[in-house]
Amino acid sequence: MLSRDAEHLYWLSRYVERVENTARLINVNSELMLDFPGDKTLGWQSIIETLDNVDIYQRRYMTFKEANVINFLCYEEANPNSIKNSLIKAAYNVKETRDYLPQSATEQVNNLLNEFNRGTFKVRRGQPKDLYKLIEGSQRFFGIINDNFSTGLVFEFIRLGRYIERVDMISRTLDTLCVSKKNSQTHDFSTLEWASMLRNLSAQGAYREEAKGEIERGSVLRFLFKNRGFPRSLNTCLREIDKCVAVLPNNSLLKEEVYKVIERIMSSRVESYDDDKLHTFLDNLQGKISNLDQRIHKSWFHLHA
Amino acid sequence: MAISWKNYPTSPFFDEYLNTSQRFRTHTKKIGKFLGSLSPNDLNEINNATESAIKSMGISFRIYSEEYVEGQDRSWPLDFIPRIIRKKEWDKVEKGLEQRVKALNLFIEDCYNDQKFLKESDMDESLITESPAFKEYCMGMKLKHSSWSSICGSDLIKDKDGIFYVLEDNLRVPSGVSYMLENRTVMKRVFPDLFQHYGVMPVGAYPTKLYETLVSLSYSRSRQPEMVLLTPGIYNSAYYEHSYLAQQMGIDLVQGTDLVVLKDNFVYKKTIEGLVRVDVIYRRIDDDFLDPSRGNKDSVLGVEGLIESWRKKHVSIINAPGCGIADDKAVYSFVPEMIKFYLKEEPIIENLKTYLMSDKESFELIKDRFKEFVIKPVAESGGYGIVIGKSASKKEKEETLKLIRKDPRNYIAQPLALLSTTPTYDKGSIEPRHLDLRPFILTGEKSYVTVGGLTRVALKKGSTVVNSSQGGGSKDTWIVDK
Repeated sequence: MLSRDAEHLYWLSRYVERVENTARLINVNSELMLDFPGDKTLGWQSIIETLDNVDIYQRRYMTFKEANVINFLCYEEANPNSIKNSLIKAAYNVKETRDYLPQSATEQVNNLLNEFNRGTFKVRRGQPKDLYKLIEGSQRFFGIINDNFSTGLVFEFIRLGRYIERVDMISRTLDTLCVSKKNSQTHDFSTLEWASMLRNLSAQGAYREEAKGEIERGSVLRFLFKNRGFPRSLNTCLREIDKCVAVLPNNSLLKEEVYKVIERIMSSRVESYDDDKLHTFLDNLQGKISNLDQRIHKSWFHLHA
Repeated sequence: MAISWKNYPTSPFFDEYLNTSQRFRTHTKKIGKFLGSLSPNDLNEINNATESAIKSMGISFRIYSEEYVEGQDRSWPLDFIPRIIRKKEWDKVEKGLEQRVKALNLFIEDCYNDQKFLKESDMDESLITESPAFKEYCMGMKLKHSSWSSICGSDLIKDKDGIFYVLEDNLRVPSGVSYMLENRTVMKRVFPDLFQHYGVMPVGAYPTKLYETLVSLSYSRSRQPEMVLLTPGIYNSAYYEHSYLAQQMGIDLVQGTDLVVLKDNFVYKKTIEGLVRVDVIYRRIDDDFLDPSRGNKDSVLGVEGLIESWRKKHVSIINAPGCGIADDKAVYSFVPEMIKFYLKEEPIIENLKTYLMSDKESFELIKDRFKEFVIKPVAESGGYGIVIGKSASKKEKEETLKLIRKDPRNYIAQPLALLSTTPTYDKGSIEPRHLDLRPFILTGEKSYVTVGGLTRVALKKGSTVVNSSQGGGSKDTWIVDK
C-alpha cells in the first residue's frame, strides 16, 4: 500500500473518532457543570486547557462562558479540532481514499458533514440529543467498516487511527477532571463526577459488572486505565493498537514502544493518585501517545523522507 | 400516445438513423421501431432510470472553471438513445486509425532523430522545432515499438456525405475512455433486452488491452512489471477516470509526492513497506509538470529527476514526453502525407481540408469567404477559442482576422463540416442532435482500437459543441454486425 493512502486512512479514522470524542467531552462537562457550585467558567476553561487550545481560544473569545466554549469546540473555524473542521478533514481524507472504502462508508462521512453544515445539529447545553447524533454518526461509520473488513491493511490503518485517537481523548477527558478541580479549589465531588464520567464513556454497565457496589474514585480509575475488554479503557485501546501494529511491516520499534506504555499503565498505582499526581501522570501519558503517533508516521507514512 | 418520426428533420445534415426519405437505415430499423412505440411518458421514465443509475454508480466529472466544492461533482450526462455504426463500416475506420497512429508515432520519433520528414516535405520546420510541445531533451530518443503516443484519442466526425473524417488527434493525455466503458454498463442496466436482440459488440476489453500495452512498453524483464497511474490528484477534472482505470487494471494510483527518483536514476514509489521500484508510469499529467527540473519549476505534481530516468530507459513514461508535437492542428494537415511517406500507403480515413493561415493565399481565401469556414487556434483543446464563421458577428470576424494577422502560424481554417445527427432525447420527445466520436488507439507491441469509442453529443438544438465542459452529453456507441 502507498504510504500516502495509508496516512489518509489513518487520519480519516482519527477525525471521525475525534468527532465522537469531542461530542462526548462536551457532554461530560455539561453534566458536570450542572453539579458545580460557584464559578461555571472554570470547568469550561479546563476543557480548553486539556485540549491544548488556550492560545487559539483566547485570540477569539474574552471569557470561558459555556456558550463560547461550545461554539469553539463545535463550530469554530479557527479551531483546527472543532467538530466542523474534523468533519471537513474526514471528508477530505475520504475523498482521497474512496477506492479503498465501501461506498456506504464514504456516504456516511459525507452525509454527516452535509447535515452538520446544513445546521441540523444545534449543540446547546441541556440538549444532548444532537451530540448523541454525532456520536451515532461516527459509530455508524466504524460499524460499516467492521461489517466490510475483518483483516487487511485498510482495516488495520483505520483501526490504528481510531484507537490512537481514543487513547489520546480518554486521557484528556480524565485530565479535565483533575484540572477543573485544581482550578476551582473545591474538593470532593464524591461519586457524582465519576459516575458522570462513566456514563459519558458509556462505561457504567461494564463498570458495574466488574466493580459491583459503590462508584468510587479508585476503582473507577482502575477500571478506565487497566480494564481489559471494555473498549474505552486505556489498556484495551493500547492492546488494540498492539494488534494492529503486529500485522504491519517494519513494526519492531513501534511494538516495543506500545508495550512500554502498556507496562507503564499496568504497573502504576493510579488508584491511589491524588489529583496533582494523576494530572502529571496523564500529562506524561499524552506525551507518550504523541510519540506513538510520530513513530507511526515515521514507520509507514514518512519513512522515505 | 407514441412518439412520431414523421416530423423528425433529416436534412440538411446526415442523420445516422433515418435517410432523407424518412426511412430507417437497415441497422437502425429495430431500435427505431422500438423507440417509436414509446410514449413521451415512457421516454421520461427511461431517462430518469438512466440518470439514477449514473448517480448511484457515482459517475461524475468536474469543470475547471468551477470552484471546488466537496460532493458537488456533476453527474455524467448520458443520452440513452445509442449511436449505431455497422461493423463493416467500423472495420475500415479501425484500420484507418491504426494506420494513422502508426504514421504519427513514426513522425514523432523522426522529429527527435533524423528529421527526414521535415527535410523532405513542405512542412515548415519551425512548426515543430519552435512548438512549445517540442522537448529538446527528447532528441535522440528511440522508444520501444516506436510508441510515443501509446494511448491516442482521435476525434472523428461524419460530414453530410455520411463518411467519417478525422477532426483531430489527441496524442498527449486524452481522456474519456472510462465514460465509454461506464456508458455501456449503464445501458446494459437500463436496456437489458435490447442488447440480447441486437448483437452489440462488447467494449469491455479496454482495461485489459491497456494493461497489456503498458506491460509491452516496460524495459524491465519481469512479466509483471511494477506499474502506476500518475494523477494530478482529486481536484483534476478527470480524476474519476484516473481512479477508475487504476482500479480496473489493479495498479496504484499515485501522485507526484508518492514517487521519488534516487541517485541510481530509478523511480521508486513510497509504500508502507519501503521504496518499491517502478517500471512503467501511465501519466495523466502534462509534460511541463512531469519533472520540475525539466519544465515548470513550481510544479508540485511531478517528480524531480523523472525525465533523466526516462532518458536512461530506467522507466517508461506513457505517453512519452514530447509526443505533443504532433498534436497540433497545423501538423494535422500533414498526416495524409506522413502516411504516404512512412508507410507507403494511401490514407484509409480522410482529413478535413485544412488551410494553414501562415499561407498568404489561404488567408485571402478565408478572408473573402469567412462564413464558410471554422477558424481554430492550433494549440488549444476542449473546443476553446474556436470561431465559427457562419455565426460570428462582424466585430468577431474583424477581431479574429486581427488575431490571425498577428500570429498566423497559430491558426488554421477548415470548411464548416455539417456534423451528422442522431435521434436524442429532449424532454419527452426525440430530436436530431449533432455528434462526434472519440475512439482510443493503443500502440505497444500490438495495437488495439476501441470497439467504437466515446460518442459525444451536443445537447442543445443546433449546437455543434460536444465538449462535456460546455454543455455536451454522451451516448453509448454500438457496433453492430448486420
